[in-house]
Amino acid sequence: MITEYLTYPFIQRAFIASLIVGILCPFVGNFVVLRRMSFFSDAISHSAFAGIAVGALLGMDLSLSSLVVSLLVSLLIAFLSEKTTLSHDTVIGIAFSGAIASGMLVLGMLKGYRADVFTFLFGDILAITDTDLLLLLIISVLSVAFLLFFSKPFLQISFNSDLARVEGINVRLFEYLLFFIIAVVVTVSLKIIGIILVTSLLIVPAAAARNLASSMKRLFSLSCVFGLVSGILGMTASVYLNTASGPTIVLVSIGIFFLTMLKPSAG
Amino acid sequence: MKALIVENLCVKADSRHLIENITFTVEEGSTIAIIGPNGAGKTTLIKAVLGLIPYSPGSVLFFGHPVKHANSHVRVGYVPQKLEFDRTFPLTVSELLGFTVPPLFSFPFFKRKGEKRHIIDLLEIVGAHELADRAVGSLSGGELQRVMIAKAIVNDPKILFLDEPASGVDIEGQERFYDLVKRLNKEKGLTVVLISHDLNVVYRFADNVLCLNRRLVCTGRPAETLTDEVIKTVYGEMMGAYIHSCHEHD
Repeated sequence: MITEYLTYPFIQRAFIASLIVGILCPFVGNFVVLRRMSFFSDAISHSAFAGIAVGALLGMDLSLSSLVVSLLVSLLIAFLSEKTTLSHDTVIGIAFSGAIASGMLVLGMLKGYRADVFTFLFGDILAITDTDLLLLLIISVLSVAFLLFFSKPFLQISFNSDLARVEGINVRLFEYLLFFIIAVVVTVSLKIIGIILVTSLLIVPAAAARNLASSMKRLFSLSCVFGLVSGILGMTASVYLNTASGPTIVLVSIGIFFLTMLKPSAG
Repeated sequence: MKALIVENLCVKADSRHLIENITFTVEEGSTIAIIGPNGAGKTTLIKAVLGLIPYSPGSVLFFGHPVKHANSHVRVGYVPQKLEFDRTFPLTVSELLGFTVPPLFSFPFFKRKGEKRHIIDLLEIVGAHELADRAVGSLSGGELQRVMIAKAIVNDPKILFLDEPASGVDIEGQERFYDLVKRLNKEKGLTVVLISHDLNVVYRFADNVLCLNRRLVCTGRPAETLTDEVIKTVYGEMMGAYIHSCHEHD
């Protein structure tokens, strides 16, 4: 019975973490999907890999080092997109491969096997501590409140950036703010979902909600419901089936995505 | 007061001038029409004036303020010629208008008292109140133009830029649209800068006309400025002035 498992503190923490991430990632993911920034968020999560490797080499806090490197890479992408004539996805591809290559290079310099580094790579929700959980909760509340409060300019820019500019919105400033939020959310979610799969939880529930929603209100509420259901079902399934939690949660969300595809097309 | 002062405005692309040395002013509360053949630089001029594309050299002042800071002092409305957006964007008409309802920083999913009424009132003005809950991507050309006008006037702007706003709209829709613009111009003292290919629209609705063909060809009152000679210079030999018999609506 699941109630029996829930008596263990590490399982309780894992369930709470999956619920928080199940709301946080799809909520932020809506902005990623609406801005067509999926590849960007993938690049940011893989930059975190380089950050973790650098942090391990220098003996820094791995979450902090991954956040710093993710932010630096997002700024580099923004700078190169602005200063060159290259397309946005080409610039992201360069930054993406640069980050992976740097991470692998630095990882090779580490002596011995570093389990903590691989925890970030694949995620380990059962290893979440009370401090991790508190940090996740605080960052989630702040990120969601921030995006909600500034959602008018963020959504206006996603709809049409020229109209946003004419209405006095500082488009560049809000783009940088969104990069920052994505980098923060990716970093706090790494321990739970892992570098490789964190983008999935950002994108898949948001994409599933987009299959059904015709309004912003429905998009945001459905994506969070899908994220929550993925978190609960994924965690429960991983406990019963003894499978890795991160991939199980992501596979449930992909299952939901395919179910939303069954919606009959209009007309 | 001058609502808009444009001086020596030049826009280049790959060292080629798209528009060159454009200088004109617009009086507050007046309507100015910008005319010219395809490729004359009309949309480029409006986009440069609005700060959407860079210009050099040149200067633009909105009610005495530089364009970069104009929106903190002057509310500007803009209806683009062709609105480029993702048709699958999950957004209703009232949500789209809600983006522009002040304050800019608030929680949009929790509409304040009166906000919904304000949006419905605006949609009623443009004859689109039945569209409030429709997805923006499902609107026809004419419906979208009416919604964009409503969006452009949500903030009670002091100056409104319309880039061929009635293109793709049927005759009846065009009539209703221009009547609405004229009414806003008269009732609210709104300054209007309008691009139009239709000389009848220019004669009926504009106080002044600006003829453009990469450079400024002429400017002045339509009846005095749009002579056969000027129209041939702007549009070519095949064109001549033909004034429609319709009278301006009251």
